[in-house]
Amino acid sequence: MRYGPSVLMRGVVGLVTASFLLAQANAATLLREATIGEPPPLDVMLTTADVASVIGRHIFETLYALDSTYTPRPMLAESDGTEDGGRTIVIKLREGVLFHNGKEMTAKDVVASMTRWGSFGARGKLLMAAATSVEATGKYEVTLKLSAPNGAWKALIADVNGGLAIYPEDIAAKAGNRPIEQKDYIGTGPYKFVEWRPNRYVEVERFDGYKPVKEKGDGFAGARVAGFDKIRFIPVPDVGTRVSGVQAGDYDYAEMISGDLYESLSKDSSVQVQRTNAPIFGLFFMNSKQGILKDNYKLRRAIQTALDKSQALRVAFGPKDLWNAEGSIFPNGTPWYSTDGASNYSAHDPKKAKELAKEADYTGTPIRLLVSTNYQAHYDEASVFTRQLADAGINVQMMVVDWATLLKMRGQPEQWDIFVTHHSFAPDPLLLTFLNASYPGWWDSPEIGSLRAELINTTDPAARKSTWGKIQSLIYEQVPVMKVGDAYTYDIASPKLKGLNPNGPVFWNVSTK
Amino acid sequence: MWSYAFKRAGTTAVTLLAASIIIFAFIHIVPGDPIYVLLGDTATPDQIDALRHQLGLDQPIILQYLTWAGHVLEGDLGRSIFFQAPVLSVIADGAETSTLLATMTMIWVAVIGVPIGMIAAVRHGTWLDQGLSGAAMLMASIPTFWVGLYLILIFAAWLGWFPSSGYPSIFEGGVVNLRYLVLPSLALAAPNAALILRLTRASMLDVSREDYVRTARAKGIRPWQVVRRHIWRNALLAVVSAFGFTFAALLSEAVVTETVFALPGIGRLVVQSILRRDYPVIQGVILVIVVVYLLINLIVDLSYRLLDPRVELQ
Amino acid sequence: MSSNSATLWLRPFLARPVALAGLGVLLATVLAAIFAPWLSPYDPYAIDPLIRLTPPNVTHWFGTDQFGRDTLSRTIHSARMALLIGSGVVVFALATGVPAGVLSALFPRLGHLLMRMVDVLMAFPTLLLALGLIVILSPSVATVILAIGIGYMTTTTRIVYGLTLRLRAETYVEASRSMGAGAAWLISRHILPNLVSPLLVQASFVFAFAQLGAASLDFLGLGAPPDIPSWGNMLAESRTFITRAPWLLFFPGMMIVATAFSLNLVGDALRDRLDPRLRQVFGEKG
Repeated sequence: MRYGPSVLMRGVVGLVTASFLLAQANAATLLREATIGEPPPLDVMLTTADVASVIGRHIFETLYALDSTYTPRPMLAESDGTEDGGRTIVIKLREGVLFHNGKEMTAKDVVASMTRWGSFGARGKLLMAAATSVEATGKYEVTLKLSAPNGAWKALIADVNGGLAIYPEDIAAKAGNRPIEQKDYIGTGPYKFVEWRPNRYVEVERFDGYKPVKEKGDGFAGARVAGFDKIRFIPVPDVGTRVSGVQAGDYDYAEMISGDLYESLSKDSSVQVQRTNAPIFGLFFMNSKQGILKDNYKLRRAIQTALDKSQALRVAFGPKDLWNAEGSIFPNGTPWYSTDGASNYSAHDPKKAKELAKEADYTGTPIRLLVSTNYQAHYDEASVFTRQLADAGINVQMMVVDWATLLKMRGQPEQWDIFVTHHSFAPDPLLLTFLNASYPGWWDSPEIGSLRAELINTTDPAARKSTWGKIQSLIYEQVPVMKVGDAYTYDIASPKLKGLNPNGPVFWNVSTK
Repeated sequence: MWSYAFKRAGTTAVTLLAASIIIFAFIHIVPGDPIYVLLGDTATPDQIDALRHQLGLDQPIILQYLTWAGHVLEGDLGRSIFFQAPVLSVIADGAETSTLLATMTMIWVAVIGVPIGMIAAVRHGTWLDQGLSGAAMLMASIPTFWVGLYLILIFAAWLGWFPSSGYPSIFEGGVVNLRYLVLPSLALAAPNAALILRLTRASMLDVSREDYVRTARAKGIRPWQVVRRHIWRNALLAVVSAFGFTFAALLSEAVVTETVFALPGIGRLVVQSILRRDYPVIQGVILVIVVVYLLINLIVDLSYRLLDPRVELQ
Repeated sequence: MSSNSATLWLRPFLARPVALAGLGVLLATVLAAIFAPWLSPYDPYAIDPLIRLTPPNVTHWFGTDQFGRDTLSRTIHSARMALLIGSGVVVFALATGVPAGVLSALFPRLGHLLMRMVDVLMAFPTLLLALGLIVILSPSVATVILAIGIGYMTTTTRIVYGLTLRLRAETYVEASRSMGAGAAWLISRHILPNLVSPLLVQASFVFAFAQLGAASLDFLGLGAPPDIPSWGNMLAESRTFITRAPWLLFFPGMMIVATAFSLNLVGDALRDRLDPRLRQVFGEKG
């Protein structure tokens, strides 16, 4: 009798524990990811917005995928071969890959996707401008014919960001240039689209019919295993709120945290920090079409010479771990790293800048700098540079607008002289926006014209690399853009998460075990 | 009564028409363009023109207005360019958050503002009154986002008593999800409770200067009984109408709080849609807000006139 | 103004030490704004990334921000923006609201039309109206003033309308009307002088709420251009540093609270000296 209550108690505790465990076993596992904001439509072929790519990467797949060294590896493709000196590309597809609608992916789907991407895809022209035909030459074989060889073709179709995601044939064929509807978010990825609640979340769930490749997961390449039943991508615009949210356990993962919190968060046991291995870099575009900077290489060099890039980087990104004042467009350690011309990267020599400006007959005309506050780093960099240029007697006037206005204004050459943006890591120089002559800035001098053609049509990696070196020298001479420096963004996550991907926020192969 | 109601409904309709034209004109002179935001960084001019044509944005603005107004009369507010969903369902989703947030805020306001305002009025002129009124004025002078940031820091990140941000619908997780709204509603309640407190105090003092109250007092009835029997009902009339307008304002003007707490409310929806130039959503939301405002206005007016027979219906 | 009326204005302040303190804070803010370049220890724009985010110390009393700029100097210079926006909004609200209100009350037909327009404008959520205007006109100080001012233009119009109707009904105005006085004479002799004190009260509340409104716009990144120092911009820029560098949020936040609170105190004291007949036209909200 004395032990009565205690036994009873144990029984109750046991029962409660058991039912709790049962409930846990039954409960769907959910990963909550705090994104920087609401994405545009998830038609990843059309948009280069990172918010859309992060979600889209779970739903849609590409023929190749980048591994942790940013080398393209087969994903939906099985193998490939080139003929006719690189003008004909034959891609064999993996068999048995299913779309979320249950249909098998075949060459027809790839052809339709490639055709749409070529006409409307954000980065489609880079490869498809030279395409003469795309055909299904077998149930699982696609043949692409080009008018000239393209040395970067694999890298150009290895990511969903404005890239060649494979959609089902009927969807790709009828979509045209308008973003596809939500019901058509059908891909081959390890997660399938469930619903999009505006300002609340985008939800995806595990796709049971997913067939991973045999190779082990590495970067975005290799086998993809969905470790959660569901993932919710929740827009949390305020970075402070994202941080508190992970600390309080309301989110499991949060993107793009401010550099100045890096040190304290690194020591915080309630979160783990995840630094990306692919730096982004700020870019200041010069107007090559109109205005005071058009063909005015001396004045551009005066501007370049006046700047101390590390000051801007320190203000925008905080601790030294998170940035690198690197003049090479591609970071050290990548195949495209080059020191050509980089000595002009960050001279910080106001005296010499003044001389150059004088030689360029600069008399203090205001130079209009277009920048948006939607990206704090852009604004920080612009503020620092404006100040440094003032010290060198160069009169810069900031025009601060919102991002939507900036996107429109930068397309109008009469509106600006310099505009600020950033560029994400690119696996191949051809993916750099400033090598595209129709991108605002419109760098299309005869010198770059011929070097660009050389870079596209060469297939030998060593020869392409030496061409890139010449282009980088030209960038420091004609200054179509100024690179601010490499910035390593970082995310934070609940300490429970294992297997986070240093290439970026993707949640296959991530689990709590 | 009815003829008054009809007349009011008539002017409401005219106001609505004027408002809809203003909304439309207003939105389309905003620089920037949804197409750029939609297609992102690398769109070519051809792509942009083609998509603009598909969305009908290249038509004359008057035609665009008439098309839109026609659809609105049929109950169709159009489709969001970004969410690719009917504007009505986008608004409905935001309205859940905003309505609950506003309701919870008004509960705090009622619980804090009204009784303290009454205490201040009854103890009129004492140090207690001055202290309470001063505190209220201080609360009304603090920016809500500033309070919000500290609330998150203290009660979510440090103490862990409440969730830091976001709001999963109660239709998914049950009423326990209301705990997500506790901190934001407190941040919003602070200035509004202060205003209601001051209004309660002032209107009670006004009523207490009326003759019948003086008479009651002269008869030696205790102060709290005077309040209970004579003052409080009459004084509350003004407070009730202020409640209506505060509630209406909270539905759409909690933008800053919604941003700080990452709440999927109406205010943030509009701001975001303005920044992305999602025209159909902006038009739809503002139209709905104006309708709600006018309705509340009408209800407050009518109920005011019903409650207080002395007010003439003109 | 005679010494007699001066004491009349000061009396409510002398009776309330708190209100007097509020007046003192406002005076200090005005002086800070005027003498900002001499009072600030540093150039508020000078950046020095090497000393960024240093806590308050002997050389930088309020610490430094993420650019390494001196927070004290920026706080002082921000007083200029606070006064500029506050007075801009007040001037705009009065310059539009007073004529609209007075004319509406004197000329019923025009009044009907104008008050309907005010109704339409009031049905628009003020903050959204402000945001829309800012995106259209692109952010600048003038835009912010206009955007916030429109919301108070309507309330001012309504208040002036109510007051003028009352004044018109007053017997002496009736009398001079019946003697054939013109509208101009009526306005300048009888109406405007009687509007001065209630409008002063209204102005102090509008000034106070304009501070909070401007801070909200700054916080959303749609206020004064971010390179201009203002308390709201300082808060917006440093909100992620709430744990890392709390002083960046503390000082500008306190300044907003202090000025808004002082203005409210002053407005309250002024209202208490108002003619009780006019007081009723005023809501408590101002």
